[in-house]
Amino acid sequence: MFRKIALVSAATMLGACAAVAHDEPALMQAPPGAPYQQVSELVPLPDYIPGLGALWVDPATLPAGPFLAYDRDGRLSATVYMTPLEALRNGTAYDGLGIGAHNVSSVDVYHNAGHPGVDVPHAHVVLFHDEGARARLAE
Amino acid sequence: MRPARRSALALGGGLLAALAAPRLLLANGPEVIGMRGTARGEHVWFAPVGLAVAPGTTLRFVNDDAGNSHTATAYHPAILDRPRRIPRGAEPWDSGFLLPGESFEATLTVPGVYDYHCQPHEFGGMVGRIVVGTPGTPGWQPASREPGDIPPEALAAFPPVGAILRAGRLHREDMA
Repeated sequence: MFRKIALVSAATMLGACAAVAHDEPALMQAPPGAPYQQVSELVPLPDYIPGLGALWVDPATLPAGPFLAYDRDGRLSATVYMTPLEALRNGTAYDGLGIGAHNVSSVDVYHNAGHPGVDVPHAHVVLFHDEGARARLAE
Repeated sequence: MRPARRSALALGGGLLAALAAPRLLLANGPEVIGMRGTARGEHVWFAPVGLAVAPGTTLRFVNDDAGNSHTATAYHPAILDRPRRIPRGAEPWDSGFLLPGESFEATLTVPGVYDYHCQPHEFGGMVGRIVVGTPGTPGWQPASREPGDIPPEALAAFPPVGAILRAGRLHREDMA
């Protein structure tokens, strides 16, 4: 019994480490490589969304993400999370989420009415990774 | 593949009805309905949300939203098994997902009230209502009163038929 618990704990720890072990050189420039896929290839959305840039996500982490947001030069500029409001109300928690880069200059949280991929009202949580990121993503 | 422009005819009453009234169809050029949203997607809507037109009018749905994709989808059991909220005998339409700048056309010939929605934004209240003809038009069919599985956010967003007929074009700010 103890061994089983220990294995589960170890697996959980490994999973948690994998989820948060970002801030890796491979993610700093688009394309980030597997398991990430461009969102516009997964669902019918523009390749570049003003304000969010070019989004990439590991489909296994949907709907919350992290979504990696790249500017027009392919520079990682933000990490975005999308959390459905009803799921939060019903007690769902999104814990231990990964992050594209550890430097965060500012954070925006706002409501989104939905879009393909997350077609219910949800919150966008946007972690900008440098002072100029917001302006670059808006272009 | 993403066609720059998608087009289809929803010929309520069938092709014969359309052929029987070519002047009427030509006389009613496309009425444009914009698919819009705020820059960060907090709010999304059809503009106008309510529109009164003559039978045979062609509607052109245009995605004006730079950061989102939208659909214009009639409520009908033939599409995603949704409740019928268009006149009996009218053909339902579904634009599919339109990316920014893309458009879709549908021609409505059967008189009555047509309710439609945007698939990814129904829970965000993005619905619209078209009134074809008036209650005095022969065969005119009123709005559905059956809520079915339509979410409350969408049901609350349909403009009243009377307000649409009075205004002709009703925008979301008119409903505030």
